[in-house]
Amino acid sequence: MIARPKMKLNQPINIWFAILSVLIVMGLTSGIIVLVQGLSVTNLTDLIPWGLWIAIDLSSIALAAGAFSFCAAVYLLKLKELEPMARTAAFIGLIGYTMAMMCLFLDIGRPERFWHGFAFWNTHSVLWEVTMCVGLYFSVLLLENLPTIANLSWLKNKWPKLTEKMASVHHYAPYLAVAGLALSMLHQSSLGAMYGVIAARPIWYRPGLAVLFFISAMAGGVAMTTLATLIVGRIKKGVNIKKSSIEKVLKFLGWLLVGYLYLRFWDLFAMTYTYQPGKAEGLKILTSGPLSFNLWFGELLLGTLVPILLLFNSKTRKNEFFQILAVLLVVGGVIAYRWDTNMVGQLIVQKPILNEFAPLYAQYSPSLIEIGVGAGIIAFGLMAFTIGVKYLKVVDHNEGTESSIV
Amino acid sequence: MKTSIKDKKVSRKEFLKVFVGGVGALTVFNGLFKNSPTKAKGLLSSNDGEGHSWAMVIDQAKCNGCGFCIKACQASNDVSPDTTWTDLYQVSDVGDQEVYLSVPCMHCEHAPCVSVCPVNASYYREDGIVMMDYDKCIGCRYCQVACPYDARSFNWEEFTGENPAVPEWGEPDIERRPRGVPEKCSFCFQKIDRGLLMGLTPGVDSAATPACVNACPPGARIFGDLNDPESNVSQAILNSPSYRLREELGTGPRVYYLPANRGQEDAS
Repeated sequence: MIARPKMKLNQPINIWFAILSVLIVMGLTSGIIVLVQGLSVTNLTDLIPWGLWIAIDLSSIALAAGAFSFCAAVYLLKLKELEPMARTAAFIGLIGYTMAMMCLFLDIGRPERFWHGFAFWNTHSVLWEVTMCVGLYFSVLLLENLPTIANLSWLKNKWPKLTEKMASVHHYAPYLAVAGLALSMLHQSSLGAMYGVIAARPIWYRPGLAVLFFISAMAGGVAMTTLATLIVGRIKKGVNIKKSSIEKVLKFLGWLLVGYLYLRFWDLFAMTYTYQPGKAEGLKILTSGPLSFNLWFGELLLGTLVPILLLFNSKTRKNEFFQILAVLLVVGGVIAYRWDTNMVGQLIVQKPILNEFAPLYAQYSPSLIEIGVGAGIIAFGLMAFTIGVKYLKVVDHNEGTESSIV
Repeated sequence: MKTSIKDKKVSRKEFLKVFVGGVGALTVFNGLFKNSPTKAKGLLSSNDGEGHSWAMVIDQAKCNGCGFCIKACQASNDVSPDTTWTDLYQVSDVGDQEVYLSVPCMHCEHAPCVSVCPVNASYYREDGIVMMDYDKCIGCRYCQVACPYDARSFNWEEFTGENPAVPEWGEPDIERRPRGVPEKCSFCFQKIDRGLLMGLTPGVDSAATPACVNACPPGARIFGDLNDPESNVSQAILNSPSYRLREELGTGPRVYYLPANRGQEDAS
């Protein structure tokens, strides 16, 4: 009699797990095909060497930025009431960076040499710096998540002393927050600078990308954490979400988006100051070409402007539906921005015509295998988060206050 | 907060101290990160005038677009028939003559591929050749994204089987690259190094000269040492108008072009 309603409650989550499992198996199969057959199974070419996986990699890192933002807010700005959200954010961060590393592992031509970045340093390379920071920050995230993982009940029963030690890492949270902030400011910006330093592609070659990547990552990360918190609060019974915390975060997110929109417009308009072959064509692709819908609707209107209005209007900011809609749009906007930035520089190819290097247009759409791998990695992320919610209580604003006492 | 005149004086003095110190520190810092000095002792040398400084000159007035350079390169470097290390473009017509542009790796003095490579797999040799360490490369393709000349080809799949350019166009003298790394022209460093050991002069003795230069029927390609003012590349650049590709990027290519229409300009 008691077991039956429990089974019923479990049903939707079982369907959810089943769907994710299918996608993960699909992703694993595609991933193995990539490892065995090489990158020839992708639609990547010498003209467009970076495609869907790099976009997913950039997006996961951006959406994982809630970890450093919330940890800095709680442990450096002493906004103690956000502590439970910092726990959620740190867990999402760990998942995001894991997803990013999975993408990169498959994307590089020699996956077995993934460790070379740590062994052979080229300190002039932005990508080297990103590699080091991502590696170091992943360790920070692991440490930050130890107290959360210590919540696992069977682990607690089996090795009580170990979980006690794991939980005690919490005392170092402020130091980890400083390390996380520093490493994140470095590599979140450098991911933009990675494109910004490429003189060969004038549409990328500008200093603003680093700043825009950092700020959009902060917005995306905060939005992603809030989105996950709100959805879990709605779906999972017995989870307590502090409305006041959410509202404060959303107000901050609104202002952050205003700042981002200002910088984005400055960046966009400043690109029209000078003419360079390749730059004007890139702008055309962005503003009226194949990426224009993404730019105007995905990034600017739906990704930034509409959420700003939803977050500044106190009625919609307090309404759960509009809260979820707003943060969902921000997450989508950040993904659109990463996709557009990665594509726009590569879609313009400079080839010699009439003894000049003149811009030509290239094309790319991901192959089924690329999509399979991408879907599998995203499904892995959702699965890991769901497991975290179910067994580690990563979203619970009551749980957080308890663990902060520990 | 009140500030007295005395305070201001002190702060100005301190500011000066900090300023002078800062400038000094910046100078030292700048010195630390400065690239190799560009004091030219040879004609167009960029490596202090010591040792060799290899360069290629391609005469567009002579190039007839036959593509022998590609074939010879594919044989010598064991390059797949789907890949070229020296792309050939028909760029325009001058009078009734078709003009071609052959684009190998430019072996830039400030090569974007070298600075972006996260693992130092692309690097400079003393003689200016931009080399690839295929054993170090992780295959991230950042160099490909950064190269202004599309000089690099990625090994999306392994090149297996017969090389159709062999033996008609030559015999391979370096190893085939594995799957998952980008490859590019190396100025046939293997011929240069072996040739120098045998006491030959690259650019003069064909055994020590890049395959594409040897194979060019009209002799449109010249190879040699910029540190030697008497070398044929130095003389060609000195005696004729020349240009380099996308020079505005500051990459400093080691491949020079003699434009096809220079004769007409002289005549007019």
